[in-house]
Amino acid sequence: MLPYIARRLLYAIPTLIGVTFVVFISVRLIPGDPAVAIAGERATPQLIEQVRQELGLDEPLLTQYGRFLVRLVQGDLGTSLRTRLPVAPEVWRRLGQTLLLASASLLLASAVGMFLGIVSATRPYSLWDNAGMVVALLGVSTPVFWLGLMLILFFSVELPKTLGLSQPIFPPTGSGTWRHLVMPAVTLAAYSTGIIARMTRSAMLDVVGHDYIRTARAKGLSERVITYRHALRNALVPVITVQGLQFGTLLGGAVLTESVFAWPGLGRYLVDAIFLRDYPVVQAAILVIAIGFILINLIVDLLYGLVDPRIRYG
Amino acid sequence: MVGKGRLLVLALALAAMMFGLAQLPAAAQTLTVVQGTDIESLDVHVVTSSPSYAVLDHIYDTLFELSPEGEIIYVLATGFEVGPDGRTYTIKLREGVSFADGTPFNAAAVKANLERILDPASRAAYANLISPIREINVLDDYTLELKSDEPFGPIQVHLAHSGMGMISPAVLARGNEYVAQNPVGTGPFELVEWRQGERIVLRKRDGYWGEPAKLDEIVFRVIVDDGARLLELEAGTADVAIRIPPTEWQRVDADPNMKVDRTTGLRTIYIYFNVTKPPFDDVRVRQAFNYAVNNEAIVTALLAGAGRASDAPMAPAVFGYSRQTPYTYNPNLARQLLEEAGFDFSRTYVIHHPTGRYNQDALIAAAVQQSLRAIGVQTELRTMEWTTYLDFVRRPQDQNEVEIAMLGWGVATMDADYALVEMFHSQQHPPAGFNLGFYSNPAVDAALDRGRFNADPAVRLAAYAEAQQLIWQDAPWIFLHSELQLTGLRENVHGFIVHPTERYKAHEAWKD
Repeated sequence: MLPYIARRLLYAIPTLIGVTFVVFISVRLIPGDPAVAIAGERATPQLIEQVRQELGLDEPLLTQYGRFLVRLVQGDLGTSLRTRLPVAPEVWRRLGQTLLLASASLLLASAVGMFLGIVSATRPYSLWDNAGMVVALLGVSTPVFWLGLMLILFFSVELPKTLGLSQPIFPPTGSGTWRHLVMPAVTLAAYSTGIIARMTRSAMLDVVGHDYIRTARAKGLSERVITYRHALRNALVPVITVQGLQFGTLLGGAVLTESVFAWPGLGRYLVDAIFLRDYPVVQAAILVIAIGFILINLIVDLLYGLVDPRIRYG
Repeated sequence: MVGKGRLLVLALALAAMMFGLAQLPAAAQTLTVVQGTDIESLDVHVVTSSPSYAVLDHIYDTLFELSPEGEIIYVLATGFEVGPDGRTYTIKLREGVSFADGTPFNAAAVKANLERILDPASRAAYANLISPIREINVLDDYTLELKSDEPFGPIQVHLAHSGMGMISPAVLARGNEYVAQNPVGTGPFELVEWRQGERIVLRKRDGYWGEPAKLDEIVFRVIVDDGARLLELEAGTADVAIRIPPTEWQRVDADPNMKVDRTTGLRTIYIYFNVTKPPFDDVRVRQAFNYAVNNEAIVTALLAGAGRASDAPMAPAVFGYSRQTPYTYNPNLARQLLEEAGFDFSRTYVIHHPTGRYNQDALIAAAVQQSLRAIGVQTELRTMEWTTYLDFVRRPQDQNEVEIAMLGWGVATMDADYALVEMFHSQQHPPAGFNLGFYSNPAVDAALDRGRFNADPAVRLAAYAEAQQLIWQDAPWIFLHSELQLTGLRENVHGFIVHPTERYKAHEAWKD
C-alpha cells in the first residue's frame, strides 16, 4: 500500500508541472491587461507602463514562467499584484475555510443522499421511491443563490421576527462559528445530495439484481443485513467516485454560495482575482485546487480497496 | 387624582433616572457596515475605487476635504493662499498633529507624501491630479509652498481627493510593501485587522487631533451579493448597507426599523458615440439618438426614481454645472433627423455595455435598444466582463472597434475640470485619456483650458458653462442620467454621512 501511495504522489509531480504551465499560459491568454486592471480605469499610459514593468509583465513569457517556477519550489507563491501582500497566507486561510465548508456539506449530502438512495432502491417504484427522487431532482435543480437567499430570509429575518427573537437563528452571512456554517453547508449540499441519492439508487438497484443477493435472501438473512452489508457495500464504489468528484468541485466551485454567504473561500478569491487579472493569485489558487484534486483522487482510489477487497494495489 | 407631592416624587425619580443614565458610561459602540466591494489595498495612494477610499478615509486625513455641498473644508491645512503670479500656493498646516505611530505631522511630512505620489515607482493612482506641481518647498515646520508652471485652478480640490491622504513619513521610508501592510495616518481610527474579501475592522484612535469619534469600532464587511447585503440589514446584524438594489429601496424605507439615505451621486451614466465613424460623425444622428431615448422613463421605471435624468454632461452637485435644455423624448423628431441625415436603417449597429458595473446597466442598455427599435434603428447589444471591457474601449483610434458604448464617470473632486477634461478634451483620446469617442472641438478645448489654468472662480464658471453648451449641442453622448446612492440604515444609526463622492463618513456617527 505505502509504495503505491508513494508512486502515485511521484506521478503527481509531472501533472502539477503541467498544471502550472497551462494555468500560467491560460491566464495570460484572457483578454484584458492586468496593468490596466491594477492601475485603475483612470490610469495614464505612463502609469500603466510603470505597473507593467514593476510586475515584470514586460518580460518574455518564458522568463516569467521560469521565475514563477523557481519561486514556487522555494515555497513562495508570490505577491498579489493588487494588494502588494504575499499570496501564500491568504491562500492557506481560504483553503482552510473552503475545506471546512466542503467537508460539512459533503457529510450532510452523503448522509441525506445515501439515505434517500437506499430508501428508493429498496422500495423501487413505490411512493417512497418517487418522493425520494423528487427531492433529489429539486436538490439538483434549485439555483444555489436562490436557495441561499431564501434560507437567510427565513432563518435570519422572518422566523426570528415571528418568534420575537432579538437575534437571528443563524447569522445571515460571514464565518467564524458553527452557526455561520449551517446555511452555506445546507445550500451547498443541496446539489450533491441529489447527485448522491440518484447514484446510490441506481448502484443499489444494479446490485440487488445479482445472484448473491438472492442467495443471501435464500439463506434467510434479514433484509437489513442484506441491504447494508451485502448490497450497499458493493454499491459503494460508484457512490464514492461521485463523492470524490463532488468534493473536488466544491474546492473551487462554490463561488455562488460563497458570494451569497460572504464565506471567505477559495472560489470567490479565485474569481475576484480573475476579474482583476491578479496573475499570482490566480496561479496559486488553481495550483492549490489542482493539488486538492490529485489528493482526492488518491483517497478515492484507496477507499475503493477498503470497501471492495477485490480491489488491491500493489 | 394624583397628589402634587406624588407628582413631584415621580418627576424627581424620573430626573434622577435620566441623570443616572447620563452618568453611565456609554456601552462600547460598534457600527457594522456591509458593502459590496473590498478595499483594494491599505495604501491610500494606490487604491482607485470609491469603496476603498470610503474605508481608508477613516484612517488617513487629507489637507483639505470637500463638504457634501462641495465647499472646501480645512483638515490638516489651516490656510491656503495663491501668490500674485497665480502659480505659487502657500499652505499653512495644522500644528500639534501626529501620526498614529507618533511621527509629527509637518511640512516635511506633506512634502514626502506629495513626492511619493508624484514618483511613478509608487504607482500612485491619482498622480495626474497634482502633476502640474513643479516645486514643493518647505518654508518652515508648518508652511509649505507649491509651485506650478501655469496657474492651476483646481489645485485645492485636487488636494482634497482621498488619494492625497497623508501617510506617516516613517512608514513611507520603509518602502511600498511596508506601506501596504502598515496603514498609519492622522485620522480618527486605526486598523485592527483586514481579512481580505471578508472584513476590515477599525478602532477609535487615542490621540486623534480632532473631536474623538463617538464609535469605538467600525466593522466594514464585504458581502458581494446585493440581496444578502440587504438581508443583513433587515436581520439587524448590520447597521448600514451600502448600495441597496433600486427596486427595493421603497420597501426598506417603509419599514419602521430601517431608513434609506438617498444622497445625490456625482456619477453620470452615458452612452458615447465614436464620432469618427459614420454615421455618428453627423451631429444630426447623435441628436436623433438623444431624442429617441426616454431617459426620464429609464430613471422612473428601471431605477425606481433613484437617479436623475441628465440635463448637462455632469451632475448638478459638481462645481461648474450649467443646466442645458434636455433632449425631451420625441421619437418623431428623432426619425425626421435621421432621415435628413440619410441614415442607413438597413444596417445593425452595435452597442457595447458593461454588466453589473452600474445600477441596472444591462437593463438600461436593453431599454435603449428598444427605444431605438421604435424609430426603426436596429442595434445589437454586446456585453463583456469589466476588465476586458475597459481594455476594449480604451484602444487607440486605429484599433478601436467601438461604435456606441455605455460608461459612467464619477467626479470625485466635485469640480468641472475632472468632469469634463478627460471626457471631452481632444488631448484625451485613448489611450491617453477617457475621451473614448474621439470627440474633438477646438472651442471646447479652449474653454476647458481656460477653466483649468485660471484661479478665478467666476472665470472658471463662465468657461465651463460655455464648454457644456457646446458639448450639449454636439451630443457626443446619449446623455442618460446621474445615479443616486441608496444606502440602507437601521433606524437607530445617526450622524452617518453619505457623501456625493461615494465616500461615507462614520467619524461622527453613533447608535442609540
